[in-house]
Amino acid sequence: MENYIGEDKITIQIYDTLKTVLDPEIGINIVDLGLVYKIDYSEDKGIQIDVTLSTKGCPMADIIMNDIQAALQEKFPDKKLDIQLVWEPAWSSDLVTPAGKIALGMTY
Amino acid sequence: MLGLKTQKSPSPSVVIPHYISGAVFFIVLCFLILLSSDAFIGHYFHPKLLAITHLAALGWGTMIILGALYQLLPVLLETPLYSENLAKITFLAFTAGVICLAWSFWNFYVGIPIQIASILLLTSFIMFFINIIFTARKSPNWKIDTDFIVTSSLWLLLTGLLGTLMAFNFSYPFLNKSHLLFLKIHAHMGIAGWFIMLIMGVGSKLIPMFLLSHNLNTKKLNCAYYLVNIGLTGLSLDLYIREEKALLPLYALLITTGIILFLSFLREAYKKRVRKQLDIGLKHSFTAFMFLFIPIIIGIIISFNPSFNDVFLLQVYLVYGTSVFLGFISSLILGQTFKTLPFIVWVNKYSKYAGRKKTLLPKDLYSQKLVNLQYAVYLTALPVLIAGILLSITMIIQTGAVLLLAAAVLYNINILKIVLHTFKTEN
Repeated sequence: MENYIGEDKITIQIYDTLKTVLDPEIGINIVDLGLVYKIDYSEDKGIQIDVTLSTKGCPMADIIMNDIQAALQEKFPDKKLDIQLVWEPAWSSDLVTPAGKIALGMTY
Repeated sequence: MLGLKTQKSPSPSVVIPHYISGAVFFIVLCFLILLSSDAFIGHYFHPKLLAITHLAALGWGTMIILGALYQLLPVLLETPLYSENLAKITFLAFTAGVICLAWSFWNFYVGIPIQIASILLLTSFIMFFINIIFTARKSPNWKIDTDFIVTSSLWLLLTGLLGTLMAFNFSYPFLNKSHLLFLKIHAHMGIAGWFIMLIMGVGSKLIPMFLLSHNLNTKKLNCAYYLVNIGLTGLSLDLYIREEKALLPLYALLITTGIILFLSFLREAYKKRVRKQLDIGLKHSFTAFMFLFIPIIIGIIISFNPSFNDVFLLQVYLVYGTSVFLGFISSLILGQTFKTLPFIVWVNKYSKYAGRKKTLLPKDLYSQKLVNLQYAVYLTALPVLIAGILLSITMIIQTGAVLLLAAAVLYNINILKIVLHTFKTEN
């Protein structure tokens, strides 16, 4: 990470921060579950995140959104946050990272 | 992401007392089975068996299901519970009713005590039904699982109503037909109408969520809903009006086909699951669905009016009831408790720290080792108990009862561990 500077470095830090947000039932972070669709950062627009959930209409949305917001605010207290819950494309197991697949017990 | 807690969820004070009471009733139930093992050899219309059956169906099964349902309704119906206060009053009336009913049956006080018990229970079922109906009416997304939940609560009310009539019939005989006939209708309304319908509705939503399964064929659930309801309505009316057994195989077939379609839906969810490793809660649940085949097979055989001798047939009836309440329903609850209760407590204690501190996870709130041991002991207990009943050997029944009691003790230890959990960070 030392090779990165400026916005790229912050994007990587955002990514690492999101990896600390766990699905409490499964115990796997939302990045490895493939729930994070977009991470953007720029000085003027701040941090922009698109996330989804594994089940459409899942009312856990408010809690996971709060967790993401809390983790990012803790790490980047002076940055503007824009976190969106999106449903397109629908989540599928193809989005799970190799680390997530191992944690879920999927063979691939 | 699994949705067990939202801003719409009821207060833990509505839900948790149900789990505590259910766990206590389970341990009492197992102890009573041990005390009355000889009652498991003979007719099912035995005071001690009636006490045990109602403790299993109401104090244990329904108690936990009511608590879990109050927590899950906002998730399933996407709207808050209509009234938390009504749920609390329902709990009090229901608990008092169960204790009074079990005590009345155990001592066979079929006068005022059983009448009070039945009125308390019926009142609680009416309040529960009102809560369900008014919650469902606000649901923005009425689907087949809502149909299952609403219809099952109606069947519970009808079961309670018939039970109340039977309770009063002991002192003021006004029912124009045999008490045993009404008992059969009452039992099947309770088993197929309340338990099976509700479990189908809730299970069809929760199991795929827990397994991370998608693109499932919900037409199976629609068919299952109508088949079970038509079969059960036909069975109840036919037994009452015509007292005929000729069409029993048809009703058994309709209900069984409905259940099989539901199991097929679960199988599809299992096969399409993303989450390959099953935790102990899900293992217990799938074991429960395997146990469901025992009453299904017995139900079909009995509906054909087999030429078993009377003594053996009575034991088969007892195995039927045991496999439903201590097999299917108990195994499901023993597993699903660890998918719901730790989450409820966790959300209450830790959700405000999530994202800020490294916290424990819901699964860290109980002992995995104890649940594994509970599962192993339970899996040994049930076949032993069923074998003892089928063979009419008291010693084997007692052995099964001791093992079941051991499983209940392990379960209770973990329940206490969860509800008494105090905040800790991961380190």
